[in-house]
Amino acid sequence: MMMANDIRPVPSAASERLLDVKGLTIEIETRNGPATIVDGIDLHVGKGETLGIVGESGCGKSLTMLSMMRLLPNKIRVTKGEANFAGRDLQKMSNSELRKVRGGDVGFIFQDPMTSLNPVMRIGQQLAEPLIYHRGMSKAEARKRAGELLKLVGIPGAEDRLDAYPHELSGGMRQRVMIAIGLACNPQLLIADEPTTALDVTIQAQIVDLVKDLRDKLGMSVVWITHDLALIAGLVDRINVLYAGTVVEDAPVDALFSNPSHPYTQGLLASIPKLSDERSARLSSIGGTPPEPGRRPKGCPFAPRCPLAEAVCHERVPSLEGIGQNGAHRVACFVAQRKLEAA
Amino acid sequence: MLRYITTRFVVWIPSVLLVMLGVYALAYYGAGDPIKLIFLRAPGDVAYNPERIEAIRESAGLNRPFLVQFCSYIWNLLHGNFGNSLSSGRSVWAMISAAAPVSFKLALCSVILTAVVAIPLGLIAALNQNTRTDYAILGSALFLWAIPAYVAGPMLMVLLIMVLPGSAVPYGWGGVFDVRILLPLLVLSFQPIALIVRQTRAAVIEVLSEDFVRTARAKGVPETMVALRHILRPVLTPVVTQLGLIMITIVNGAIFVELVFGLPGLGRLTVQALTNTDYPVILAITLIGSFLVMISNLLVDVLYPLLDPRANDTRRSR
Amino acid sequence: MSVVPMTTTPIEIEPPVSLWRDAWHRLRRNKLAVFGLIIVIVLAFTALFGPYLTPYDFLSQDLNGRNLAPSLSHLFGTDDLGRDVFSRVVYGTRTAFLVAIVVTFIAVLIGVTLGALAGFFGGFLDKAVMWLTDMTMSIPNLLLVVVINASLKSPISSWMEARYLATLNPFYRETIWVDFLLVFGSMALISWPPYARLVRAQVLSIRSRPYITAAQALGLTNRIILMRYVVPNALGPLIVAVSAGLGTAMVLESAFSFLGVGVNPPTPSWGNMISDGLRVWQHYPHLLAAPAAVLGLASVAFSFLGDGLNDALNPRGAK
Ligand SMILES: Nc1ncnc2c1ncn2[C@@H]1O[C@H](COP(=O)(O)OP(=O)(O)OP(=O)(O)O)[C@@H](O)[C@H]1O
Ligand SMILES: [Mg+2]
Repeated sequence: MMMANDIRPVPSAASERLLDVKGLTIEIETRNGPATIVDGIDLHVGKGETLGIVGESGCGKSLTMLSMMRLLPNKIRVTKGEANFAGRDLQKMSNSELRKVRGGDVGFIFQDPMTSLNPVMRIGQQLAEPLIYHRGMSKAEARKRAGELLKLVGIPGAEDRLDAYPHELSGGMRQRVMIAIGLACNPQLLIADEPTTALDVTIQAQIVDLVKDLRDKLGMSVVWITHDLALIAGLVDRINVLYAGTVVEDAPVDALFSNPSHPYTQGLLASIPKLSDERSARLSSIGGTPPEPGRRPKGCPFAPRCPLAEAVCHERVPSLEGIGQNGAHRVACFVAQRKLEAA
Repeated sequence: MLRYITTRFVVWIPSVLLVMLGVYALAYYGAGDPIKLIFLRAPGDVAYNPERIEAIRESAGLNRPFLVQFCSYIWNLLHGNFGNSLSSGRSVWAMISAAAPVSFKLALCSVILTAVVAIPLGLIAALNQNTRTDYAILGSALFLWAIPAYVAGPMLMVLLIMVLPGSAVPYGWGGVFDVRILLPLLVLSFQPIALIVRQTRAAVIEVLSEDFVRTARAKGVPETMVALRHILRPVLTPVVTQLGLIMITIVNGAIFVELVFGLPGLGRLTVQALTNTDYPVILAITLIGSFLVMISNLLVDVLYPLLDPRANDTRRSR
Repeated sequence: MSVVPMTTTPIEIEPPVSLWRDAWHRLRRNKLAVFGLIIVIVLAFTALFGPYLTPYDFLSQDLNGRNLAPSLSHLFGTDDLGRDVFSRVVYGTRTAFLVAIVVTFIAVLIGVTLGALAGFFGGFLDKAVMWLTDMTMSIPNLLLVVVINASLKSPISSWMEARYLATLNPFYRETIWVDFLLVFGSMALISWPPYARLVRAQVLSIRSRPYITAAQALGLTNRIILMRYVVPNALGPLIVAVSAGLGTAMVLESAFSFLGVGVNPPTPSWGNMISDGLRVWQHYPHLLAAPAAVLGLASVAFSFLGDGLNDALNPRGAK
């Protein structure tokens, strides 16, 4: 398996934090009152760092990213916590300040390129919008730059595509357009929400390489959400494993693969097929399902599914504690923490 | 595109012919003898004179079989001859060309007023979904939708007189720029406005939950521009498709509004023609009404691909 | 060939009981809909029993008390013939409900039949029905009905008169039934298309489901499929359409009577009362205001109720 790239100096964990999310809690209004979806999540991304986020479908990855930028749908609200970007809390910013950050300092690539582009607007116009509103470009300038961006993300015949409507492009091309929109204003932070899920394997790899190139060229930070640990292993510096709206393990990418400490992470890694596996070997999967919003267990949210769960796991919620790599490898699991103490 | 328009036109013709045939049959078999009406207007002795009646019948071609008469009527129509009114003897074409401008101006103003008032209101209601503002707009729309023009018109007149005792009754026609147009225009537009408010609101709510609106916000597009460029644009498509329905509402409503407010338009002409069982006039008006609705439906079909680029492909492949 | 018993597990498509209960709860929370429902119930009660409870007969004239302003003895005043306007409005309610119910019934009958036939048999029949539907909907329908009414009324009346003179059968003297029949018939003629469309769409969507093909293969008759699958699914939308249709029919009736081609005087109808009131409203506004207000109230009530039912029965589209 490819390891973290060696050309670029890995940003140290101590480097300045560009994004710092503290205790963010997200609730959804239901018939039976509010239910917690994301429970006091902590995240941080250093300047120039690339963070991978993995976790089961529905564990709140997308909502966490959306909530930072205050893009949540109507019934879902942030009730607690802060999200600092370059030292300022996005949750407390005025709307006009926030607007400058959105699309300007922070670029977003959304999960579903089929629905995330406006079907009745030409690609060129959609690409030009951030340039016009953040860079103050004229329409002609923005159009020229939009053409360059399309070329940058590798769309053939870029200039001709500016006047196309989204439905005239293939899924892969739309995804590239989304990436181009996210990158339009050379953001300091790029948030990519499963940008490759809908694509076939070769294009997935192309897009990962593309983002990697651009990151190295522009020196931006990246948050990459995915289900596919293997795909991003060569791209990210650090990985956060999410379960039921909390970070259960935070580790440099090498450490995570060599020493997965949370039982859930171990389960995730075990479910990735390896070339060395026998053909007949069955993929392991984690039994049970994650808790529904509003029915979170009292203790560790993973305890009901955990093969190693003890009495204490059902009673108290473990917090993220450093277990190695000078505190850069942290895990929220009583069993793993105790194992370390014993060693 | 031209071929498409032609096809639509060709498809429309048999249905309108069928309707005309129906109305003509009603006139032929139902309405009683039109000769008596002509006879009453004839100069000279009005005494009952079978020979003269026969003579008139002969000269008007009314003794021929039904289908022959109908075909000759259509034949005349194709030559731009709408016949003469039975009650006044004037040319139907002259009567209609005198009345039509009044109705058309009123209808056009009503469509404009509807678009200008209803689309923003629908947008506001949707952007404030489930708040007081929303309920107020939606409730008023439901209310306006349910009030017939011949109830709203007189009630507003009563109200106007009570509030402004000195003011003149808004009765009669003075052109588009006359104050008297205000009340009829308002009443005529109530139902179309209600229709479009609800349509816009529903469409905006649907678009609001679309991912591309979120994309626009994530790009840092200002809220007003999000509303105008990303929300309103896709909403216009379903709203414009209601144009045909609006036309029907307006054509129906015009009959009452013109009657209540004494406007010399097609609606009042219709009612007069009905009272006098003046069939040449009724036939001509039916034709015009159906033509109007057909044209507005056609307009929708022509506009649609301009508003929704996706529609182009499906139409071509159809 | 032996009939194979149907062993496929029935997929749940009949709205479960709880759906109706849910709908009722949603309806009750909708204030406008509850308001509409109450008004409709009050009006229906008035239509049924009102004429027996009013202090005056709707026809009895009092030439000494003409054009009286509203007072305690005459709630809505009296008209130019000294008739009690309140009693006439109450009787007009009966006219309105009678017409609305009968017309909607006929229209639903026509619409459901045509729609079901078109949906089931498809092909030419479907095309023909759809063409008829589109045509009916694309003509300014009010105009059409007014024409039909106006032209058929006098010949039928004169035929009835001739029959009466010939046979002296009292049946032929009751010309009021001609009014009603014409109104019923012509209004139903323009009111059926929405029902036809609705039922056709339901039939088509249900026909395309695999288990119906399976059921057909098993030899279930169309009638059973219709009763077991189509009817339960179409019921919700149909209820919404009917509640809106009742209001529309009521307004249409008054529109015709207003234009003088509907229910004729002296039978009271809100429409012909408004039409009469319009001539003298500057002197006696109550003659116009009373029937107009009641008609407006009824129409608004049906519209609120229909909208509430729509939200309650189609929770997906609910606000
Ligand atoms: N608009 C919404 N309305 C109601 N619930 C929602 C909505 N969006 C998300 N949720 C709920 O919030 C939880 C987290 O959703 P989120 O989209 O963040 O998951 P995710 O981790 O991004 O999953 P995936 O990997 O499938 O994208 C889920 O349980 C989901 O059901
Ligand atoms: Mg997601």
